[in-house]
Amino acid sequence: MTDYRYIGKPIDRVDALEKVRGTARFVGDYHLPGMLYARCLRSELPHARIVKLDVTPALQVPGVVAVITSDDFIDHGRFGFPISDLFMLAYEKVRYVGEGIACVAAETPEAALAGTKAILCELEELPAIFDMEHALDPNAPQIGPAREDGKHPNFLGHFPVYDGDPEAVLVDCDAVIDQNYETVMQEHAYIETEGSLAIPTVEGGVLAYVSCQSPFIARGHIMRTLGLGETAARVINPPVGGSFGGKDDLNYMTAGQVACLALKTKRPVRMTFSREESMIASYKRGAMRMRVRVGADKAGKLRACHFKATYDSGAYSSQSPFTSWRASIHAMGPYRYDACTVDLTTVYTNNGFAGAFRGFGNPEVYAGIEQAIDELAEKLGIDPLDFRLQNCLRLGDTTPHGQTLTESVGLSDCLLAVRKASDWERKRAAYAHQSDPDRRRGIGVTALFHGTSLGAEGTDEATGTIEIHQDNRVTLTSGLTDYGPGSRTVYCMIAAEMLGVDIQRINIHLPDTNLAKDSGPTVASRSTMLGGNATRIAALNLRQNLDYAAADLLGCEVFQLQRAGESYLGPSEEPVPWEVVVEHARRMGLVLSTFGRWSAPKIHWDEEAGRGVPYFAYHFGAQIAEVEVDLRTGLTDVLNYYAAHDAGKVIFPQGAYGQIYGGVAQGLGYALYEDVDYMDGYLQSINFDTYLIPTSVDVPEINGSFVETHYSQGPFGAKNIAEPAMVPVAPTILNAIAQATGRRVRKLPANLERVLLGETLHKKGSPVSCKVALKSV
Amino acid sequence: MTKEWQVRFRVNGNSVMVSVPPMTSLAEILRQQLGLTGTKIGCNNGECGACTVIMNGKAVASCLVLAPQVAGADIRTIEGVGGDKALHPIQQAFLDEGAVQCGYCTPGMVMSAVALLEENPNPGEAEVKDAISGNLCRCTGYQKIIRAIRHYAAGR
Ligand code: FES
Ligand code: FES
Repeated sequence: MTDYRYIGKPIDRVDALEKVRGTARFVGDYHLPGMLYARCLRSELPHARIVKLDVTPALQVPGVVAVITSDDFIDHGRFGFPISDLFMLAYEKVRYVGEGIACVAAETPEAALAGTKAILCELEELPAIFDMEHALDPNAPQIGPAREDGKHPNFLGHFPVYDGDPEAVLVDCDAVIDQNYETVMQEHAYIETEGSLAIPTVEGGVLAYVSCQSPFIARGHIMRTLGLGETAARVINPPVGGSFGGKDDLNYMTAGQVACLALKTKRPVRMTFSREESMIASYKRGAMRMRVRVGADKAGKLRACHFKATYDSGAYSSQSPFTSWRASIHAMGPYRYDACTVDLTTVYTNNGFAGAFRGFGNPEVYAGIEQAIDELAEKLGIDPLDFRLQNCLRLGDTTPHGQTLTESVGLSDCLLAVRKASDWERKRAAYAHQSDPDRRRGIGVTALFHGTSLGAEGTDEATGTIEIHQDNRVTLTSGLTDYGPGSRTVYCMIAAEMLGVDIQRINIHLPDTNLAKDSGPTVASRSTMLGGNATRIAALNLRQNLDYAAADLLGCEVFQLQRAGESYLGPSEEPVPWEVVVEHARRMGLVLSTFGRWSAPKIHWDEEAGRGVPYFAYHFGAQIAEVEVDLRTGLTDVLNYYAAHDAGKVIFPQGAYGQIYGGVAQGLGYALYEDVDYMDGYLQSINFDTYLIPTSVDVPEINGSFVETHYSQGPFGAKNIAEPAMVPVAPTILNAIAQATGRRVRKLPANLERVLLGETLHKKGSPVSCKVALKSV
Repeated sequence: MTKEWQVRFRVNGNSVMVSVPPMTSLAEILRQQLGLTGTKIGCNNGECGACTVIMNGKAVASCLVLAPQVAGADIRTIEGVGGDKALHPIQQAFLDEGAVQCGYCTPGMVMSAVALLEENPNPGEAEVKDAISGNLCRCTGYQKIIRAIRHYAAGR
């Protein structure tokens, strides 16, 4: 094993100091002289035609400086990839409650709000669809964009995987489970709400500070929708107060709106959402309804899986084509089958809209498959952990997609690790016989695989730069954002390791479109692998020049060089300080700023055939939850949690463990309380008093561990970690609840009534709180 | 126009006076009038704890405290914890344990921790969890925050 100085060693986050002091500036903390405040007029109807939109009365409101609508953007501000169905502000129609219609800039937030109220906006209500099962009915009102291929406009896409004929195999199986499962929408609930600030530049362009996933995507949308050249728009990512996939499309609209207003008013314009506005306007994790059929033979060999699901993307496609695809790839779970079909259809409705969220479709499908696998094990009378061990993907196996796994498959080791850490056998046996009439314990397990990086979702490439300055400080740039996971620290560690210098020398810029090169979005947990490799290559290029200088200085060949701390040694073993080598490189005229680009290995996916190589590598993991259920109230207390993950080599342990803990907590909320409840299109929970996320007293001690299987293409053998920890948490907890109560909760969340009564009480909803919030400061 | 109130109080040891409408919250006063933006706003509803400051020795959600209640109070914010150069040991403990991720909840967490430790220098696990139960963090799962507070207390 190579001995590293930084990789895998304890180190502080590069940005922690300013955060712990409270000096880190988030977008909402910016204040400039003459800055205007922006506020959107948002739709109070789930589906309507905009009959009239007259902003002139708003301009009469004292303090209002400018108002914009979709007319102020090129092509009405249409954007979105791969389906361009979003607009910077609504055009012709609104499709969900909270959709932006017009945007006002004013001297104060109060005046901006008064301005939105003064706008004459006449909406003609249209019939809406709130039940995804009816989205594709022949007479369903059209929500999605018109299409020419004869397909239903509310049809967003079909995402299949085909491997043999599971129907034929299922009839042959000794045991079959055929069950329906359902997940609901989830709110990202980053503690910092959305926000952007735009400042007009001297050349007639804009400089924008945007709290988002990718400054490059924000800049691209600003450029195209406002007709600015590449150099006329610059976007900087200030610290992002949590994102989890959430600060993507919606905040690009915010960025576009303030940029447009800044150009129009020639003044800085900032928009910051209230929590209510954030919850009402923002996209969510989509809801999924699944029918899962899995079959096995008596000896416990899994044989077939047929997974059929509908996914609700709400009013817009946003990232749903990608989330749906990722969901389809993982829907059968990390197992070998003789035959497998996945058949996932994504549709438009008027339930808000769904977009990127940590796990990208996988927490949804795992809630189905990982419960079905458990139910099948139970039916066969086999221990659910043994059943998974018997059938899980191993090195050399071929997945249902047709991909042979040739390296870095640590799933069985993860299962063994959590089995040991949790004392599984003893507890599972003990909890099978309990006599307390009020409180019952249960323990449950899941297994997971999660494709790293974008996969066949898009071109996967990242770049980085590195430079030694006159004062010998080293700076890095990367186009990938860090909204919490710690990737900026990872890049500094990699650069220090490659250059053989103290990490204190290394600084990393905030992501800035003028300094870094486009590296695509920071999604799909791709930053360690993609950005890390790009940084590694940039640093290697730089080190090559320094090695030439050192060899020249020491009168030897490059291969004879040795290092002692930062210093270089030649055959004479007289150490030469790093600074001297740098100085010598300058005298030799060698360049001290270099660039690195890394492209992911080639992969391919045939969307029609449902076969191919969807990802170049997979993260694997296993989790165990131990719960206690109060049979009188239905309250579930998670007592202990165990998670073992194969993320390849762990570069930044502090960050990696943080991702496990945070991911498990977010999954615990998804399992037990979080429910984005749209009642006829109106969100029922619009702040943290009713939308409950886990607090310090809800989260148990989490026992996290890593199984480090080296991955040859990753930097130092690393894969990725940010998303997967969250993915299997809900079914892990549900499996534990099932052991405790003897009853399955097949619809998330497992709240009191579902655990206690096995059903959802009918709740009355109201549009009032949404409507009031959209009109309040 | 709403009438403005003149409110005099102490912030981080300095006496200040602001003139604001009575419905202005302490969080807004700190952030907008005094430029103390280390105090964050996450919900403006008393639910998330991002705005936590210490008022007369107790941790409070500053978004719920209105201007008239601030008169004469002694307020401590994140800017008053630790000095210009040195960190408060609890801030150092947050760094050492890796308790900071996105950092948006961090100032509020630190304030709740400081208030707890000043009242109870040796809190048990349950007391620590309870003291920060009003501070939501979506990133960390609270593990390292709890560890940071406990280790700091144990190490004193
Ligand atoms: S902003 Fe005060 S508690 Fe959330
Ligand atoms: S560190 Fe992000 S909310 Fe706590």
